[in-house]
Amino acid sequence: MSAVATLLSSSSPLFQGRFAHVRCWAYLGMMAGMAAMAMFAGGGYVEDEYIYQLFSMQGVIWMAAGAVVGIAYAFTTSKDKFRAFRFSEILVPWIDGAVVMLALMGIFILFEPAAEFISYEDQSNLVSGRVVMTMNVLLLFSALCYIAFLFAPDSFVGKLGTTTAWAGVYAGGSALLLRWYESYLFMGGDIGHAPVSNLYEVFILLFCVICVIYLTLESRHQVRGLGAFVMPIVAAGVFFAIWLTSIGQADIKPLVPALQSYWMKIHVPLNFVGYGAFAVACAASAAWLLRNSIEQRNPDSKMLAVFPSLKQLDQLSYKSVAIGFPAFTLATILGAAWAAEAWGGYWSWDPKETWALIVWLVYGAYLHARFSHGLHGKTLAWWAVIGFLVTIFCFVGVNMYLSGLHSYGTLS
Amino acid sequence: MLSYNRTIKPVLNRIGSMPVAILLLVLIAVASVIGTVLQQNQDQTAYLQQFGPTWYWTFRALGLFDMYHTWWFMTILGLLMFSLAACLLRNTPRFLHEMKNRKGTLSDRARSHMAHKFDLSLNDKNRAVSAIKSSLPDWKWIETQVGDVLWLRGDKGRFHKWGYILVHAAMLVILIGGWMSVQFGFRGNMAVPEGKTESEISYLKGTGVEYLKMPFEVRCDDFSINFFSTGAPSEFRSTLTILEDGKEMMTSDIIVNEPLYYKGVRIYQASFGDGGSAVTMNLHRLNKVGNIDVAHANVYTKYEDPYSEATMEFQDFRPYNIENMAEPGKAKDFKDMGPSVDFVIRSKRAKPVLIRSFMNPFDLNGQNQGSIMMISKSGDPRDFETFMLGLDFSDPREWQLFQSFISKLPTNSDATQQDNLKAFQAALREVYPEGNPQDLQMLGMRVLQALKLLPDMPWPFVPVLADFDQAYYTGLQLAKDPGMDVVWIGSALLVFGLCIMFYVAHRKVWIQLREEDGGVTLEVTGLSNRNPIAFEQEFEDLEQQMIAAYGQETEQEKGATV
Repeated sequence: MSAVATLLSSSSPLFQGRFAHVRCWAYLGMMAGMAAMAMFAGGGYVEDEYIYQLFSMQGVIWMAAGAVVGIAYAFTTSKDKFRAFRFSEILVPWIDGAVVMLALMGIFILFEPAAEFISYEDQSNLVSGRVVMTMNVLLLFSALCYIAFLFAPDSFVGKLGTTTAWAGVYAGGSALLLRWYESYLFMGGDIGHAPVSNLYEVFILLFCVICVIYLTLESRHQVRGLGAFVMPIVAAGVFFAIWLTSIGQADIKPLVPALQSYWMKIHVPLNFVGYGAFAVACAASAAWLLRNSIEQRNPDSKMLAVFPSLKQLDQLSYKSVAIGFPAFTLATILGAAWAAEAWGGYWSWDPKETWALIVWLVYGAYLHARFSHGLHGKTLAWWAVIGFLVTIFCFVGVNMYLSGLHSYGTLS
Repeated sequence: MLSYNRTIKPVLNRIGSMPVAILLLVLIAVASVIGTVLQQNQDQTAYLQQFGPTWYWTFRALGLFDMYHTWWFMTILGLLMFSLAACLLRNTPRFLHEMKNRKGTLSDRARSHMAHKFDLSLNDKNRAVSAIKSSLPDWKWIETQVGDVLWLRGDKGRFHKWGYILVHAAMLVILIGGWMSVQFGFRGNMAVPEGKTESEISYLKGTGVEYLKMPFEVRCDDFSINFFSTGAPSEFRSTLTILEDGKEMMTSDIIVNEPLYYKGVRIYQASFGDGGSAVTMNLHRLNKVGNIDVAHANVYTKYEDPYSEATMEFQDFRPYNIENMAEPGKAKDFKDMGPSVDFVIRSKRAKPVLIRSFMNPFDLNGQNQGSIMMISKSGDPRDFETFMLGLDFSDPREWQLFQSFISKLPTNSDATQQDNLKAFQAALREVYPEGNPQDLQMLGMRVLQALKLLPDMPWPFVPVLADFDQAYYTGLQLAKDPGMDVVWIGSALLVFGLCIMFYVAHRKVWIQLREEDGGVTLEVTGLSNRNPIAFEQEFEDLEQQMIAAYGQETEQEKGATV
């Protein structure tokens, strides 16, 4: 068991040195092959058919050719060069994760019921629903483990929490991919679309993003105590998503014309990188506030040993904002680009746009307070917590309470 | 006299200062919240109804109904631009200077405040210098000799400050772009019925509507909607022709997300509606004769009945009405109810109501349930109630049968069920001499339902949609935006600047090399403006790296001498 854990940890030879380097270039070659097929292959790029083309013989040949070229290139680079090439070591685990998700999706497809048992009207037969339920259970369990870890830092529950959170990420990611595939199973495939089109789908995406950001921070900075603050946020989201399922919001529905654009696949996920990072920042700040008050009231508390230090929490909160803020900025800009294409103007003061601006201003002010005024500690921690509340309103509240051009996310 | 140093500079400093900037940002955020809570650019009468006269006029005076274009909101944005410019003017020269001129030495006092430092003793000065440089390979070094002390200063990520400059300049560029869009651009709507030509756009300004003539004309050749099999629309498509002085310049299809570009103006598919479809109504007279009159009208016109004082104002026509027929909670079952027309009917005897009349009879599991009509007493489509008229009005013989049946009904009060049935059979023989129709049982039910409902009709006739010739209008949005490219340039700068700001840390190392009795003492001090935890690790590793590099240097030298 521990041998497997070592092999999968970031310091294992799987993710370092020549092996990572060659694999990285193989991946990049495959991607280049995919792009080349879209550009040069017979028939050209047809959005809804491209994914099928990828898994056909033609696609395999293009990707394999790209991979071979990539591997060949990797071997021509000298030993010194690849040692200095940290790029592959950073990139490879991410692509590995994506490949694992794809493989899981491939396995789940095998369990998909036959066409006559699937109908648009009753989607309860689809496998993705069950995978999402598994994800829900895993994430809730993980949240419990992390909370238990605060009280029993020496037991295995901490590790269990990390493992189940990762398992939840893979379940969620593969469920989304599977849902993408499933959306093509109805009505001759004409309603197929990326699974980022309604609240239910983006919630699953959000869980994955929050978990991945947190777990990456956890493995880099050894801050497992933070999980007890991040995972409850995820758990609350899970309950909301279960409620959405119960009111029939989990169904795959056709896209309204305004959403039928490649921009959706870029704008929405990028936005959720921002939201997810802000959630982690909020959790780190909440942990800061709690630790601070424990320190003041009871400096000998045993629990303090489990918490990351105040300085670390302050740093982690900032680090999350540093991930989220540029992503959110870029997402908003790309949203403006999409608006310019679909609505006739890059900025319409639509409620969602305006609230995105407010979120941006709140975190912009956070950064100014931190760097120009050297503000740290309590005020900044509260700022990050309140900033996340504003973010939640921007994400869910606007859809529920305010009407506007972004009304596809509304609950009906 | 205004002197720069005494008057303008302090003002610039004040406006470009952080508190003012924060205040402006907070003001914008708060004002924006108001604008999202209070729906913008709605109908003025709706506002009046919602808030009552006092608040309506207060809000209106503050411009809250079109808040983002009021002078005061614009002023805040203008002040923000001014503040950004002042901030840039004040700080850019300083940043550039700091990036260019690096001080090679570090005072003892400054060193005592820094967190990252260690001391090291080595033998050879030159070898130590090259060991330092090889352990931090990509760093930029400057050497300063002060007396017999050599200072080495290394920098990594020195262009970090460009991040600040770029981000703030980018915000300014974006705001300038936005100002250009408002000042030199336009954005408005145009409704073009199929086959018609239009050249004027309308847009809201404050509480009123303004018009602007385009330098070209737009003709809508065709508008079509495609549907998913769920009944949800999948595509709105307009075929447009651009005309200049009556000459056709170009013809192109547009859909949502794929606008048309002509001479700096983008034409977007924004909405659609009925473009004055021609409808034919059958008016089934509720009089002794029971004759059927035919009324021809168009949507958006009024039909006045020549034989009574009833009028019908046609408001909308729909070629499809796709409804979910399933019980709530059951699997969805979508069904097309066929074409319908909406009109307000007024007559002497009844209050005006909104009616939606369907052309086809309602079919449930293959059984003809007769024509249906939806009536909204409030005039709001959300209050529609469905009425089963009983008869299938698309078949004129059923109306004849009904008339014949009524005329044959016994009028005396002691008539039995048997008498009624006889009257019905007589009517059947009269209207269907060739033999009873196939769905006789349903027909009987329909006639009974009609008998219950129709005599209570408050209007002189039962209006039923009989035929139509549909025409859409396509709702276009036309926009010219000369500031857009400026905004994109600003956006690119913003993202680029943010990446530098967040992901490039400016790390500095000062190393003081002092030669003392044959050896050399190194005092190493490090500073990073980002990511102190990572830098701490890096700095701890540096000591080992330097020792290791020094060792390697020594071995190489030994090798060279051997």
